[in-house]
Amino acid sequence: MADAVLDIAVEVQAAPFSMDYGYEATLQQRTDIGAIVSFTGLVRDFNETPDVTGLTLEHYPGMTERTLAAIGEQAWERWSLQAVRIIHRVGHLSPGDPIVRVLVASAHRRDAFNACDFIMDYLKTQAPFWKKEHSREGAYWVKERDSDQQDADRWSSSEP
Amino acid sequence: MQLTHLNTHGEANMVDVGDKHETRREAVASGRIVMHPETLQLLSDGALPKGDVLATARIAGIQAAKRTHELIPLCHALALSKVSVDFDVDHANGWVNVSALCRLNGRTGVEMEALTAVSVACLTLYDMCKAVDKEMRIEAVQLDSKRGGVRGDYQRAPTAAPIVTGEGATGEVRLGERSVSPCVRVKFLAELRERVGQSDVTIPLDKLPSRDVAGLKAALAERDTRFSVLSDQRALCAINQVMANDTSRITDEDEVAFFPPVTGG
Repeated sequence: MADAVLDIAVEVQAAPFSMDYGYEATLQQRTDIGAIVSFTGLVRDFNETPDVTGLTLEHYPGMTERTLAAIGEQAWERWSLQAVRIIHRVGHLSPGDPIVRVLVASAHRRDAFNACDFIMDYLKTQAPFWKKEHSREGAYWVKERDSDQQDADRWSSSEP
Repeated sequence: MQLTHLNTHGEANMVDVGDKHETRREAVASGRIVMHPETLQLLSDGALPKGDVLATARIAGIQAAKRTHELIPLCHALALSKVSVDFDVDHANGWVNVSALCRLNGRTGVEMEALTAVSVACLTLYDMCKAVDKEMRIEAVQLDSKRGGVRGDYQRAPTAAPIVTGEGATGEVRLGERSVSPCVRVKFLAELRERVGQSDVTIPLDKLPSRDVAGLKAALAERDTRFSVLSDQRALCAINQVMANDTSRITDEDEVAFFPPVTGG
């Protein structure tokens, strides 16, 4: 095959992961990779209320993994990529914990930057995760943001 | 339902696809090969006599997909735009899961190609490992999903996986009960689960005024006024884990989930 072999991995897990998780698994012994762009999302201690003490992430097993893989594949078709890794935590998380991590490898940096941005925008608006924040005043479900949808819409208005 | 490969005399014949429109077609198939834990360990250590087992099986699967028409008598030769074969070494269960995805823009489906890729990848795994294990078993070769084409999309109903709920650490597994009469299994997730006060309900299909999502909402609202929240514009819906809307059709044993807009990341 002329195309690079599709290399997309998705992990949805309750276990914590570190901020540098995924680099070695992405690189392996490869020497054709020119750029790795990674994004790590963390739990903030302020959001809809000023003192968030933690949050619980619910998801829809099966659909979650499938949706994340489909987002990775869309990025793969749109840009010239060498590897895509998407890791997302579920269950209980504390402020400061990494919640999501996306790694994109490509020969040249622009593809990796764009694809990583795209994957996060689509993940936030399509993947079936729901956050419940816990604060001293009690727990509440986090509301979706219009700005997230606007960010995702950027990718359908123009070609890269 | 008619078998398309039989003509009016019941004889085998190749379907003329010349008048069909070209659409983007995609199919995903999977299967597994069960083996002794020791064999699996040798495989993942790369210590088997024939060398890199998974890389070889991957190429075998891809090659097989491209040659499906030479193996299956009435299959058309297709110019596949993409074939991928992936492995998941599962030490806990003692097997290797194999999945294959095939895609093309064309006039016929690609499920035979995906199934052939899985089958031949499994056979190659067997060949590569048979020196140390003769009791391996190839099983559960199946079509998982199929998109594009006049008959619409197909998605195999997922095997039961636990839902991570807001209560407890990560647990709370509740699955819709099985029923003998045709029925639809409904799940409510996140805030919607809390608002309707339950996570699962099973509705007999004949209670639906129409066999679509709108009909299901009507049947639920009839049962309990709390379900009227499902008609809120913010309530989203998926059938067998694929996004759906009010006009999407519902059939026996479908899993329908209702949930609010997503807030992950």
